[in-house]
Amino acid sequence: MRINSSLEKKLENYVVENKEKHYRIAYSYVKNVDDALDIVQEAIFKAIVSLDNLKNPEYIRTWFYRILINSAIDFIRKQKKIVVVDDEFISSFDCGTVDKYKDVDLYRALDELPDNYRSIIILRFFEDLKIEEVAEILDENVNTVKTRLYKSLEKLRIKINE
Amino acid sequence: MDENKIDQLKKEYINIPIPMELEFTVKKSLKEGKKIMNKKIYLKRMCATAASIAIVSTVLTIGVNTNEALAETLSDVPVLGGIVKVLTFKEYKINEETYDANIKTPAIDGLDNKDLQNSLNEKYLAENKELYEQFTTDMESLKQNGGGHMGVDSGYVIKTDTDKILSVGRYVVNIVGSSSTTFKYDTIDKENEILITLPSLFKDDSYIEIISENIIKQMIEQNKADENNMYWIKELQPEIKETFEKISKDQGFYITAEGNLVISFDKYVVGPGAMGVVEFVVPTEVLSDVLVSNEYIK
Repeated sequence: MRINSSLEKKLENYVVENKEKHYRIAYSYVKNVDDALDIVQEAIFKAIVSLDNLKNPEYIRTWFYRILINSAIDFIRKQKKIVVVDDEFISSFDCGTVDKYKDVDLYRALDELPDNYRSIIILRFFEDLKIEEVAEILDENVNTVKTRLYKSLEKLRIKINE
Repeated sequence: MDENKIDQLKKEYINIPIPMELEFTVKKSLKEGKKIMNKKIYLKRMCATAASIAIVSTVLTIGVNTNEALAETLSDVPVLGGIVKVLTFKEYKINEETYDANIKTPAIDGLDNKDLQNSLNEKYLAENKELYEQFTTDMESLKQNGGGHMGVDSGYVIKTDTDKILSVGRYVVNIVGSSSTTFKYDTIDKENEILITLPSLFKDDSYIEIISENIIKQMIEQNKADENNMYWIKELQPEIKETFEKISKDQGFYITAEGNLVISFDKYVVGPGAMGVVEFVVPTEVLSDVLVSNEYIK
């Protein structure tokens, strides 16, 4: 009946060791410190409470990422994100280099991708996970993930080339 | 694909600054998460105990819920005589996408003192009915104003269950934006079948001062040991106007199996939200002069 305490310990170590990674993922969804912290907190709660569902401790990473990303998406769903940064605002920060501008556009293009597309880019390229792991986390089949990945990259390029 | 652009994006990503509070948030979340977990384990154990007491108790609960006449007949059946226990009596549940209510009402069963038993059970039912109605009202008004997220989780934990004492704590966690948690306790003397109140344990009102002093001392010690333990007392937060000075006459409390008095404070009452619900064990020797007897508190 009692929760396996070594599993609990493992989760504890895992979330402490990987807190920065988790925070960045959360932040990339909400773009705001407080909300990102809330999401990390929420994910840890959910993870502890549903530790029973972690069948194989080897998969703690994919299992936790899934909880984290679902928490982030839930969070966004409750408060429709508003893009407060308009072009005028950005140019007031512009130091005149063309590159800088490009960065902002590129990043914004990523932001404009639907959540399930953006998750793939983040997990695959920023967190260096395998396609199979990404599929596992997002609860999609591998082919769907692949298709979406190519579509996202295409979208990013199209946006950038505009 | 353009590797360069991906690298650019990745660089931006890695450069997302990490706030100082992250470490604190993670540690607090782990701590609070475990508390929630423990509550769940308590509940599971409760169910197991109830089950082992026999199917009769389940029948009884269903009976009580559905048919008063049946309940009366069953309560005369002496199978469970003398076993005082707590059962989940009624559950309210709402499970919509952004609205979540989970309200469990406990019921005390097995007391011969039916007046006490009924008055407690009626109180539990009335409070939870109100909680449920409040939730549905708030939910409707939120829906009309464009929707949002709301949750309420209420249930109970058996803090102590010995031959002598039964302490039941009922909690309400409200989640609207941030979460607030309140705890209410009832402690029963199972032998004499009476409800134990905080004032009834002491000779006079001086316990208020004595306990408060001891708790403030403990708060300062805890803060010294770890500065993350923060409380709203003037010794630690001289700039705050409304500090914790003393407990109320009927402060939430329970008695442990070992006979220790535990004083409980709801979330936000004596410290920042991150501290959650806080409890202090008051050493018995501090109380010895004002205790009526050592029957409960040892």
